[in-house]
Amino acid sequence: MTIHFRILILTLAMLLLLPGNVNAVAYCSLRDPVAQIAQLYPQKTNQLSIVKTVDDNIRAQVQIALPSNDLHFSELGRHTLYIAMKGQEVLGYVHVRSEQSDWGLVEIVWAIDKDLRIRDFVFQRCRSPKKKIAQHSNFKAIFIGKNYQELKQQLSADGITAKPSVLSHAQGAAELANVVLRCALKTLLLTEILWGDELEKL
Amino acid sequence: MKPWLYICSLLFISFALALVSQPCYGNFGKNLRWSIDGSARLNDNQALDNTSAIYALGIDTHKVFTHSTGDIGYGVGQVYFTKLANHIPVPFLFSSKDDSEFIIREAHLNYTAGPNWLPNVRVGHFTLPFGLEESIDTNGRLLDYYHGKNLGTKLDWGLSFNKVLRQIEYNFSYTLGGKDQAKSLAGSYALTGRIGSLSHLDFVLGLSFFDGKIDEVSRKRLAIDWQYYWGTWGILGELALGEDNKQHQGRQKEKYSLVELNKTSINEQLKLYSQFIIRARTDHASTDKLVNIGFSYQFNNQLELSMSGVKQINSPVSGQKQQLARVQIRVRY
Repeated sequence: MTIHFRILILTLAMLLLLPGNVNAVAYCSLRDPVAQIAQLYPQKTNQLSIVKTVDDNIRAQVQIALPSNDLHFSELGRHTLYIAMKGQEVLGYVHVRSEQSDWGLVEIVWAIDKDLRIRDFVFQRCRSPKKKIAQHSNFKAIFIGKNYQELKQQLSADGITAKPSVLSHAQGAAELANVVLRCALKTLLLTEILWGDELEKL
Repeated sequence: MKPWLYICSLLFISFALALVSQPCYGNFGKNLRWSIDGSARLNDNQALDNTSAIYALGIDTHKVFTHSTGDIGYGVGQVYFTKLANHIPVPFLFSSKDDSEFIIREAHLNYTAGPNWLPNVRVGHFTLPFGLEESIDTNGRLLDYYHGKNLGTKLDWGLSFNKVLRQIEYNFSYTLGGKDQAKSLAGSYALTGRIGSLSHLDFVLGLSFFDGKIDEVSRKRLAIDWQYYWGTWGILGELALGEDNKQHQGRQKEKYSLVELNKTSINEQLKLYSQFIIRARTDHASTDKLVNIGFSYQFNNQLELSMSGVKQINSPVSGQKQQLARVQIRVRY
């Protein structure tokens, strides 16, 4: 083994030992949720991206605020909040989050209003057989119009499932309702923690 | 410059980027993503009775350019110091089996601030918009959809018009055919395009075309690609038909088809795939049929281990059956 290889391998090993907050995929594979933003804000003329880092400190804050919950490793690293604009007017925010489920990761594109309440949501990826139920307005009504505190009151004592009174409105898609609720809570919490200061300046 | 100096230069640039990413050092760090990306790949080619390695260390960057009321566009830049060790056949970017080079992978700007009805405009060095690769990026991975073999190159310098609309997405490019060189060589060019349904959906369908001259081979292709996902399973395929016109060999029909079945664990750490590939050419006495089986395991955001094995299942009239095993460790910081 030549000295060059040793240096390369040593460098790789050093990188491995250092804590980092990167995205696991190459950046050329990043795709903005363009079609979903257009669906959530049809009157949008442009969008403004603000990129922030979800690091281990932020992850710990989520675990304190939402005990029994954690962020999936793909949720660490640099993430974008999109401001939907109509000319100079701010229409609202768009935040994409993933949540683990029995059918793989569910990726939800959240529309959030300026008071940090859920305005609407669409799935970027959801391979649950009950996805169609979750796209219905009756199911969405569980979440729409609510802020972080109101949604947190819907959590049962275990911290990861919704209360039975909430699930009775889930039309048979209880497991998916739990996934969407956890994702909504993390999304609103992270929006406030990471982007709150920037959003106040808009 | 010696290789260790290259590495030191890369690390210096990385730390410089880290510094400018702090708010007090100005706006360049705003909306910037950057990673140091290193990999070591070991190849065991039984057909050639050769073991080789490829080491790569580089910087992967992504920057969104904005003004006060909206995004202007984004840029991607990837520069890698790449070292071969006993690698045959020698890839076109290198001059010997133990050569090392700085390689630019993706390096492009995409202007996205136009009105909704106008396409985005991309300029630079980018992956040709064709087939499955357009929606499944294989950059730096063992997983591959064989752009290089099918089209003559995976990346090229030029410009493209692209857009994601409410129901469809498209990407059409004109590139110079110089592959790693930003110029046309002996009349080289490539016209490439794909139009398809939205790539985040569970069912994706795309149509692609290619008309180009690269390395003095004229190629024409029409292709259809599709993907279907159910739960943690995915099945996808690509069929490309066309012809090659080589200066001394004349025209020959080409057919390339790939079918892939893949499975992902529910936490997305483990990905398994198996591919069945058919390559047929009118001047070949037999049709190449290959099976490729592989997996990748993502330990965390920084470390990934992947392995794959390709085996030719038919017996070629001349030469040995293709048989290649590869293992790769990739670290991102």
